[in-house]
Parts: sequence; C-alpha cells; structure tokens
Amino acid sequence: MHKPLTCTRCLYSTDHPLGLTLDEKGVCSGCRIHEEKDRLDWGLRWSRLVSLVAPYRATSGKTWDCIVPVTGGNDSYFIVHLVKERLGLNPLLVTYNKYFNTPLGIRNLANLRIRFNCDILMQNVNPLSVKNITRTSLREFGSMYWPCLAGQTVFPVQTAVRYKIPLIIWGAHQGLEQVGMFSHEHEVEMTWRYRKDHDLIGHEADDLLSIFDTLTEQDIWQYRYPNDSSLNAVGVRGIYLGNFVRWDPKAQHELMVERHDYRGTRFARTFDTYDHVDCYNFMDLHDHLKLLKHGYSKVTDHACREIRHGRLSRDQAVRLVRHYEAQPLRHLGKFCEWLGVEARSLEFIMNQHRNPNVWEEEKHGCWVRKEMIAVSQSDNTDVEQTLGFQAHAELNNGERDRYIVIGKGYPT
Amino acid sequence: MLKKRLVGVVTIRNGWAVQSFGYRRYLPLGKPEILIENLDRWGADEILVQCIDRSVNGAGPDFDLLERIGRIGVSTPLIYVGGIRDAVDAVRSVKLGADRVAVDAILRDCPEQLVKISKELGAQALIADLPVRLEGDCLRWLDYRNRREEALSGSILNVLEPRCVSEVMLSDWSHEGSPQSFDEALVNAFPLADMPLIVFGGLSTAAQMQRLLERSQVVAAAVGNFLSYEEHAIQTFKRALKGISLRPAVYSTHGY
Repeated sequence: MHKPLTCTRCLYSTDHPLGLTLDEKGVCSGCRIHEEKDRLDWGLRWSRLVSLVAPYRATSGKTWDCIVPVTGGNDSYFIVHLVKERLGLNPLLVTYNKYFNTPLGIRNLANLRIRFNCDILMQNVNPLSVKNITRTSLREFGSMYWPCLAGQTVFPVQTAVRYKIPLIIWGAHQGLEQVGMFSHEHEVEMTWRYRKDHDLIGHEADDLLSIFDTLTEQDIWQYRYPNDSSLNAVGVRGIYLGNFVRWDPKAQHELMVERHDYRGTRFARTFDTYDHVDCYNFMDLHDHLKLLKHGYSKVTDHACREIRHGRLSRDQAVRLVRHYEAQPLRHLGKFCEWLGVEARSLEFIMNQHRNPNVWEEEKHGCWVRKEMIAVSQSDNTDVEQTLGFQAHAELNNGERDRYIVIGKGYPT
Repeated sequence: MLKKRLVGVVTIRNGWAVQSFGYRRYLPLGKPEILIENLDRWGADEILVQCIDRSVNGAGPDFDLLERIGRIGVSTPLIYVGGIRDAVDAVRSVKLGADRVAVDAILRDCPEQLVKISKELGAQALIADLPVRLEGDCLRWLDYRNRREEALSGSILNVLEPRCVSEVMLSDWSHEGSPQSFDEALVNAFPLADMPLIVFGGLSTAAQMQRLLERSQVVAAAVGNFLSYEEHAIQTFKRALKGISLRPAVYSTHGY
C-alpha cells in the first residue's frame, strides 16, 4: 500500500508534487534548506546580486535594464521595490491577463505602477482560446490554471527575446522555498526544464494538441517558449531574488503595506491575507483541485512556511490546515459562468482527477479522505491574532463581485 | 579520432530525479523523463541514468522507467545503471532503449556475470562504475549499499583487464555535488593505464573538465547536479572547452 512519509518538522509529505526528500532524522529537504536562511551571510549575498546585475544596466537610456514579471498580488511589490529602489534598475514590468482578476488585484496592480513609476506591458490572449485550453487542461489533467501558469511564465521570456532585454528578475524560486530543491548558494536560474516539469505539470503547449480534441494550434501558439537559438542570441537569463535576499513573504508584505499601500484580504480557505489577492480562483477552485489531486491545499503551503519561520508550532499548523481546507468554495459560480459549464459537469470532471491514494467514494458522489489526522476542534482565533495577517479590503474592493477581464470585453 | 564526450547524469531515487551529495544527502529535482528530455535538447553527448536505490532494495533495473524514456524518443545515446543483476537484466535494458549499461554492485557480488553480459551485449556496451576515493596512495572502493570500503584489489581489476568492459566510470563519490572538487589524483592512481575512463563527481567548471579531458585516458566527463542550475549548461561548458575534440554546442531552432 502506498504510504507517504511526513516531515517531522513541517506538514509536507513525500507525495509533494515537486518531490521531497527526508533525511535520516525525518526532516524534509525544504526544512533543511530553510535553515540556510539563518546561516548565510545575507549582506554578502546581496553584494553578489549587485555584481551580477551590474553588466545589465542600460547606458543608452533608450531601453530597460531588465524585465520583472508582476501581478496584483504575491510578492510583486517587494520584487519591484528591490529592483527599482534598492538595485536602482529601470525595469519593464510585464503581466499576463489571467481573466480571473479581482477588483482588489487590479487596484493593487494600478497602485504598483503609479507608486514605482514603471512601464508595463500586458499580454491578453483572446478569451476564446483561453477558454478552449482551460477546458482541455481541466479534462486532461485536472488543471483549471494551466493557461495562467503557462502565460505568466512564458510571456516574460517572449518579451525578453522580442525586446532584446536579456535579464529577467523573478522573486523566490518555488521549488527552493517549498521543497528545498536547491541550496540558495546554487543560485539557480530560470530554466525551460523546471517550467515544463513543475509550472506546466509536464505539459508544454504543443502537448495539449490531440486529434481527439478540438483544440488547435491557433489556440496554443502564444504559450510556446522561445527556441534555444533565440534565447542564446539575446543571452536571456532569469534570476531569483530569493537566492540573494532572506525571503520572508509575510514580513515583506507587511513592509509593502506600510510603505506602498499594498492591500490584502481575508480568504475562506487560508489564513494568509497577502498571497494571490489578484485572483478569484487561486485560493478557491484551483485550491480545491489541488486538494483533490494532491491531498493538501494552499493553506498547508502557508502553514509550512510559517512553521519554518518559527511563527507557528506544528500542532497549531495542523489545526489551521484542518479548519481551512474544509471550507466551501465561494467563487465557483463565477468560473462556471465564465467557462460556460454546469456546476455538476465541472464536479464530474474534477472527481475524475481525485487521487485514489487520498480519497475514496463511500457511496455514489460521497467522497471521504482515506486517512485523516484526528484533530480536536478548537478555536484558532488566538493563533491567528498572534500571527497577525492583516486584511485591508474585500476581494471585490467594494465593487461588484465579478471577474475584471480587461482587454476584450471589459469589465465582464 | 574519436570525439570525447560530455555526459549528462540523471540520478534517480524513489522514482524521483535528485541532486546527490556525497552519496548520502539528496535534494529533489523532478521527473526523470523531463530531465532526460532536457539533456537531449541541450545536446549532451550521452545521458547516464542511474537509479541509486535499485540494488540497495534488490529491486532489479527500473524497466518501467526505461519504457517511459523510450516513449520520449530521445536521440542521445543512453547509459542505464541500477539494479542490473545478470545478463538477462542487461539485455532487457538494452531492448527497452538503453544503448549501454553500467554495473556496480555485481562487480562485487557476482563478477563472473560481467563476462556473460559482455558476451551478450559486447564490451562496447558495458561500463564498470567504480565509486572510489584516495587514502594515501591507495584507491579505496566503496560499496554504496553498506558504505563499507575496501582496497581496489587485483581480483576486480583482473575481471576488468581482459576487456570485457569498454570503459570505467571513476566516480569520486566523496566529492559528488561539491563544486570544483573532483580529485584528479584518482586518475593517476587508477592502475589500468590503458582503460578508457569516464570521470564523475565534483566536476563543476570547464577548467577542471579541460584538464581532465586533455588526458588521453579520460574519454568523457560526466556531470550531474551542476547541470541543474542554469539554462543551456551543456552548451556553456562545451563552448568553454577549448581544443578538445567534442561535438560542438548546438542551440535548437525548434520551438517548444
């Protein structure tokens, strides 16, 4: 029988979709690499970054120094703060329209551009193609987020080639932060391999095409990664700030709230108020799919991160996870309306992708977890108050609750 | 003149591609098939796939993995290592798509199998993988299953001598994963002077590879962890290696 092992420190198991190793003490690779955050000389690491970016400063004044991918959520403010205010670079911001935009995310993105006074490019792939791909990726591998992940990771690279701006600056490397895929000292950079393996769940754009599907090349071509010859001709490289800065999203967001008026919100399915506030689905339907496929949801990622930073005990984290991952979805209707699909049809598709190692169907349509850690019901209010994640607005930012699709068809 | 080779190494443990450090610490990388596809795309001269837990667990070769790799359709020659117990395993590995196989545990457990495998596949398709380190002037040979070492003695060297293997992979296991740490004295200390060598373990810079590949006995440099940190790592190494007869770096014009 399949029996994953769980880290003795955090809540990740060896079933983590990015891979996870445990050492002889049962501590996972993610926790071990996290220990570097308290061991490395971050002043020295920052000076390595300063040297690394120095050759990329444009001297002509007619172009940008680097490309910075941004959204109206996550670490975008902190990344632009480091790039513009601390490194003194002139970045071209790029953002991919994921269509599930929240009014709060649109507000945060507008404020980002104004506060930091940056140029920005937005990629709008036509909505019919995005919907076609979403239907295929949902059906084939249970992902409603493939177009978002593919777009967010390819558009900056396409822009680097198109505008001949070799340097792309990303925030933290997800594989390093979550599962300790690399040491900070490896100074890992952006690769096609990582993107295909992890961001795209092993499926490049052309892999989606099939004679048994109606998806066509006209739908997917905008998600193609530039070829090696083009990348080499421009000298494109993508670096991660998390290798050079002691990455702590909570502290960083708090700083950005204070200095640049970044705004967070409360979610039903996690205690983190700062992450992915730009999207109706990431913490909702996408999060639910993650739970069905992998047996854990985003609140586990947040809890593991907070355990490692010493702000949560393992027991507190387990209680928070059990509470939040059981919360119902709030924004399913909007997605069904956008995609043109019945909720029951969507549920049928989603159930096809339930992980049989995690779920079993007790009776028709009634799914239960095979194994559930028994946790006493308790009030998490004190724990959350101590953690201190702040909310500043609702996802709809006081407006009508709907996707801000921008580009073709604004506002709905 | 035969070209020398830059070999990309994919280390697999519990079905996952991993970074390996000193044969004892591991970090996850991803799905083996995608790392292999990537090395093929980069133009590695050969890809070595080593499943490091198959002999430890007595599980035999990972034939499922070989089938999956076969479905990718890589054009780069493939060496398979891990769990090969006898000629039947070796032949099946080749039938499933490996161009060559390397053996480690059976050199110790059943050296006579080496001759049988060589007879079935030909010496050109057989490599002996020797994890070693230097202690004084003496080469110590590691049994990675129980982490015991012994002197690299005449008995195993006698088996290799009659040329039933085409190459020896000299793995500096104690420096594996540490930058610029391959112990070049291992090559001097290896007693079979006319045996072609693949060097592996702690090769992270082109300067190291240059020195090693300039030696006539060293026919290939194998790199694992250090290929995972940046885009086009194989091409970058190839471009930096001067005067070595290697296939040139290639950058594909095909989209993805």
